Amino acid sequence: MIKLQNIEKYYAAKGLKSYILRHVSTTINQGEFVSIMGPSGAGKSTLLNILGMLEEPTYGTYEFMGEDVTSLNERKRIELYRNHIGFVFQAYHLIDEMTVAENIEAPLLYKKIGSAERRSRVADMLDRFNIVGKKDLFPNQLSGGQQQLVGIARALAAQPSIILADEPTGNLQSAQALQIMDLFKKLNEEENITVIQVTHSEVNAGYGSRILHLLDGVIKEDVNLSESLKP
Amino acid sequence: MFKLNLKIALRNLWKNKGYTLINIAGLSVGMASCILIFIFIRYQLSYDQHYAKRDRIYRVVSYWKYAAGEEFSKGVPMPLVPAMRNDFAMLDDVAALQRGGGVVKIKDQSGNVRLKTTETTYYVEPQFFKIFDYHWLQGDPQKDLLAPNSVALSEEMAVKFFGDWHKAVGQTFNYNNKTDLKVTAVFADVPENSSNPIKIAIAYSGYVNRNQKNWGSVTDNSECYILLKEGQNVADLEGPKAAFIKKYYVEPGTGKADHFFQPLADVHKDPHYGNFSRKTTAMKEIWGLAIIGIFLMLTACINFVNLATAQAVSRSKEVGVRKVMGSRRRELMLQFLTETITLTVLALLIACVITEATLPGLAGLFKEKLSFSLIQQPVILIFMICLVVFVGFLAGFYPAMVMSGLSPALAIKNKVNVGNTGGGALRKILVVVQFAITIILITGTLVVLKQMKFMREKPLGFNSSAIALPDMPGDSLSILKYDIVKTRILNIPGVLSASFCNSPPSSEDNTFTNFAYAGTKDADFQVNTKSADQDYFKTFGLQMIAGRALSKSDTIKEYVVNETLLKKLNIVHPQEAIGKMIRLGDHNTAPIVGVVRDFNNMTLRESISPILLFSRKSNSQTLAVKMDIRQIPEVMKNIEQIWNSYFPDNVYRSVFMDENINQYYESEQIMGTLFKVFASVIIFIAFIGLFGLISFVATQRTKEMAVRKVLGATTFELVKMLNTSFIMMVFIANLVAWPVAYIFISQWLSRYTYRIDLSIWPFVTAMLISMLVTLLTVSLRSYRAARTNPIDALKYE
Repeated sequence: MIKLQNIEKYYAAKGLKSYILRHVSTTINQGEFVSIMGPSGAGKSTLLNILGMLEEPTYGTYEFMGEDVTSLNERKRIELYRNHIGFVFQAYHLIDEMTVAENIEAPLLYKKIGSAERRSRVADMLDRFNIVGKKDLFPNQLSGGQQQLVGIARALAAQPSIILADEPTGNLQSAQALQIMDLFKKLNEEENITVIQVTHSEVNAGYGSRILHLLDGVIKEDVNLSESLKP
Repeated sequence: MFKLNLKIALRNLWKNKGYTLINIAGLSVGMASCILIFIFIRYQLSYDQHYAKRDRIYRVVSYWKYAAGEEFSKGVPMPLVPAMRNDFAMLDDVAALQRGGGVVKIKDQSGNVRLKTTETTYYVEPQFFKIFDYHWLQGDPQKDLLAPNSVALSEEMAVKFFGDWHKAVGQTFNYNNKTDLKVTAVFADVPENSSNPIKIAIAYSGYVNRNQKNWGSVTDNSECYILLKEGQNVADLEGPKAAFIKKYYVEPGTGKADHFFQPLADVHKDPHYGNFSRKTTAMKEIWGLAIIGIFLMLTACINFVNLATAQAVSRSKEVGVRKVMGSRRRELMLQFLTETITLTVLALLIACVITEATLPGLAGLFKEKLSFSLIQQPVILIFMICLVVFVGFLAGFYPAMVMSGLSPALAIKNKVNVGNTGGGALRKILVVVQFAITIILITGTLVVLKQMKFMREKPLGFNSSAIALPDMPGDSLSILKYDIVKTRILNIPGVLSASFCNSPPSSEDNTFTNFAYAGTKDADFQVNTKSADQDYFKTFGLQMIAGRALSKSDTIKEYVVNETLLKKLNIVHPQEAIGKMIRLGDHNTAPIVGVVRDFNNMTLRESISPILLFSRKSNSQTLAVKMDIRQIPEVMKNIEQIWNSYFPDNVYRSVFMDENINQYYESEQIMGTLFKVFASVIIFIAFIGLFGLISFVATQRTKEMAVRKVLGATTFELVKMLNTSFIMMVFIANLVAWPVAYIFISQWLSRYTYRIDLSIWPFVTAMLISMLVTLLTVSLRSYRAARTNPIDALKYE
């Protein structure tokens, strides 16, 4: 599904190149649950952003479902992105001026989905995450965990084939964090949605099937948990 | 404290360079326009204000009420002056002022003509100089301007005639090839802003018509000024005036005559009467300009308020910290006001530069001598100080109040957002007001320009192109040469036809006279009389609809009338009128031989008058020459040559018919130019304000836009989102502006008898222009905002 070849990313400052990513090559298949780990500044978020098409690599090729992303124009890229990718942030990034239901509906509007279909999908999401009673509240009236639930619901509403999560539990208490991670695992297993998360937590990484360890922009280790756990 | 405030103010202005630039640009352009308008209005109001007794000086003007309308004249009947002097006890002085003009010839010592020129002259009674305190360089008008043929010159004229004003007194010059006038006094030049631009003052005792006794004959050239006794009220003149009119207006006339006492301050401002300087600025126009000035200032202030309240968010932390440190609200407000005033002063400096640079343009447009000198006119300095204080407080007070009122707890936690700085709704209202003003001006401009085009292109009923109008001397000796001059001019190749007349078909110089149609009783309206020879109709391309044109004659033998005259007399078929007798004035009875198709005899502001055409050689002192359009320069040279060879004692002067007509609409042209300029200024101010506001909104909504982008919004969708609210505001502004603009415009158009139909197009065009520019401004800025990488916005939450 995702194929990275020799991805490099650097910023040139005063003639000096400061590398964020170097020679990153990997393949991620449909249905995997990948955790990207590493110390601060290792390039985790940048890698995630490149995967999510929010940033472009300086060098290298990125194939997403067989299409070379780096050579696509903006319109096509957004098209691809809209239909397949859902983002979840550490700071939730809900739109403050919109209610819970409206936040979930927002990506559907951009996908030009009819209003009946939109309503049913939003209702479906609210139902699934048990937040029907909160649908008319504004983000600042919710707890952090609830906000992140809305964030995930919003990402899922568009029915993506992959969810990219940037430290999704970083701002949450541990009980709420576990709940979120369970949810990701469930989505991964039951709906075959690919999940890629950036995390600092070994516990969170343990929910996944594979861990990419990044250090100074280089993949140091690629651990397949499902295999290594096998006796 | 103030020094610190100022320092911080400057630092803050520097920090937010973009907003500072927008604010200063808008404010300085607005202020410059205001200063220009102020200078102009002050100049207009300064007319005739340099006389010590100005509050007691009045001009006597005449007014007639007819069954079908009314008439105004700044002149008075000749016998009125001595009569008033005799009958009114509350007056210190009464003085006649009679305008004339003619050829002035100055000979050198050997008797050769050294200088020949046409000059406007005034016959002045010495009392005039008791009313108006002229500064006399030499001589005393009360002694030296009594004898006939004595004359006083202004310094400028004395220098022009004799090289040095010190040498002028005692010299003589020849006037109108008849009298020799002796210079007895010299006075300092009358300032430009004077309604009586007297340069040559001839003793009134030498004026030939001074003893005329006819109360029914009035020309605009005979004015009368009075000086009220100190402590008297002009209203108290009403009683004596009624008795006065009853006493002297004994003969029954066509209309009811009356006189008014017009304050000196109104002489320049009442276009009904006009004045000798031929410059009037109606109070309405002055108010119109003042309102435009206020509008401009208001839009600039709105920019300021909008940007300042919008910026409040980014200043909230500073406010919080200051409050925690113990600053009181008053001190904070003071600080913000210091900032505003600093900005305003900076804008004022730039405004001064703009004013200085554009003043010559304004002066040229109005043909006035305007100057921007703070030392000579300290009132301008005072105005500017007032402007700074006014703008500073108008623009600064509200934002200062909002910002100083922020809660410190929220402010410190950075929890202040656009919502709770208030101002959101107010900002919207202000933007709507601003755009409504802009749209009113755009609509006005479009209509003014359209009406001007209409007037330029409307067929007048006669052909005015390629016609020259050289003046002919009117003395009996010259009249004898008229025929030969005309024959000679007709022989010039390129001259198509020529006609002697007293005025072209359309003229600002019209004579109205009583007449009687087919009977003895005078009609209840007057006719515009035009004397013209047999070639008049051919020269101007006038069309007959019944009968024939005038035949050759030196005196009144037959009449041609226009359609309007027949209509007013209720004659349906033009043929009916042919052969009927008309008596013009007291005698001159002759038959109607033709009816001419209506042509516009005045400006398009007025409707067509009833007109009577006849031949009378002694009245026809203008020669209309129709030329081949390709040969105008050569023909004009030839005409001048022939003219000079026949009338060597006179000065040749000629105008083109087209230019004459264009002059009617000078005030419209000025108005059109002003509207164009001020509309552009206001569009500029409104749209840089909009740009500032959208910049701010885009910054404020960066996070939201980034989130939306992550959710899959395209750049186009984001630009559309930001545009919608602004387009909505501009649309509402249109709805507000239309009725107001409609009222203004229809009022202005009602001045014109011939006017365009007010269609919906100017309004629609104004809407399209405003919407388009909004779209462009907002898109330009929001495109940049929407293009930014969402990651940059979301990274550091």
